[in-house]
Amino acid sequence: MNSLITPAFILLQGSSTLDNMKQSLQHPDLSKFLIIGALLFAIGVAGVLVRRNIIVIFMSIELILNAANLNFIAFSRYLQDTGNVNAVAGQVFTVFVIVVAAAEAAIGLGLVIALYRNKETIFADKIDLLKW
Amino acid sequence: MVLSGWESVFFWVFALTALVAGLLTVMAQNAVHSAMFLISTLVSVAALYVLLGAEFIAGVQILVYVGGVMVLFLFVIMLVNVSAEEHGREELFNSPAQVTTAVVFAALLVFGLFYAINKSAPQFAQAASATGAQERAASLRPGETGVSKISEDTQKIGGSLFRYGGLPFEIASVLLLVAIVGSVLLARTGKQELSSDNTDAEGEYVSTVETDAGGDVAGT
Repeated sequence: MNSLITPAFILLQGSSTLDNMKQSLQHPDLSKFLIIGALLFAIGVAGVLVRRNIIVIFMSIELILNAANLNFIAFSRYLQDTGNVNAVAGQVFTVFVIVVAAAEAAIGLGLVIALYRNKETIFADKIDLLKW
Repeated sequence: MVLSGWESVFFWVFALTALVAGLLTVMAQNAVHSAMFLISTLVSVAALYVLLGAEFIAGVQILVYVGGVMVLFLFVIMLVNVSAEEHGREELFNSPAQVTTAVVFAALLVFGLFYAINKSAPQFAQAASATGAQERAASLRPGETGVSKISEDTQKIGGSLFRYGGLPFEIASVLLLVAIVGSVLLARTGKQELSSDNTDAEGEYVSTVETDAGGDVAGT
C-alpha cells in the first residue's frame, strides 16, 4: 500500500518529498533496477497465463528468466560496491541461467514440433487429450 | 551504485524500451512480431547489463540468447505457424475470465514487489553511498578513452568459475549435451524412426552383427 499511497502523499506534502522523488529518478540506484526486473517478471507471468499460442508462452518464459537475470546482476553490482567478497557470484549464476534457458528452449521447441506433427495445432487449449 | 548524468538517461531509455517491448511481446497478434519484440527486449536488457558493469554477461546475452535462442524460435515459428495463417485469424487470448484473473494476479504480484522494494530502498541508497563505490572506482584501470573504467568482471567470472564452480560448469556441459541429444530425438519424423530400428519389412529383428560362414563374428 506504501507504493500506491506514496505518490498521493507526495503531491500533498510539499516540495521536499518531491525533491527526493526527483533525485531518486535522476539518479537511479539498485531499487530502480529491481523494479524493472519485477515488472518484466509480471509481464512474463501474464503472458504465460494469457496467450494460447505455445510459442508465445515460451517467449514469455524467456522474459521471466531475463527478469531474474537482471535481478542477479543488479545485486552483483550492489555487492561489489558494498565490498562483499562473493560479489561476482551473481554474474556466474547468470551464465548458468542463460545455459539452462538455451537448453530448455531447444527441448521445448522440439516438443512443439513433435506436437505439431501429431496434432496439427499449436494452441494450448486444443491439446486436451488428458482432460477429464 | 548510483547512476547519474548520461548513464541515468540511458538507463531510463533502455528500461522503458524493455518494458514496452515486453508488453508488446505478450500482446502482439503475429508470432513473428512477438519474436521481434522479444529480441528488442533482450537487447535492451543487455544494455542494462552494460550499465551495471557486467559487459561479459551482456555479450553472452547477445550471442547466446538473441543469436541462438531467438533464431531457433524464429525457425520453429516459420515451421509451425505458417499454416495457421492460412486458416485465417485465430483467437489470441484465452477466455475473458482467464485473462482477467491472470491480469489481476500479475497486478497483485507487481504491487507486492513494489511494496517490498520501496520498503528496502532507503537501505540500498544508504549502503550504495558507502565508501565501497569510491574504492572500486579508484581501483579500476581507466579505458582507452579515459572516461570509463575497465571493470575486471570477465577475469573474475572466469576465475570464480574455474576455482569454485568447476563441477557446476561440467554439469552444465552435460546438460547441454542431453539437450542436444534430446532435441534431435524429439524432432525425428516417423520415417526416420522406422529406418533407425533394426527390423525388416515384416517387423522381424535383423541382427547388425556381421558373421562369417562358421557363425563366428566376422574378423575374429
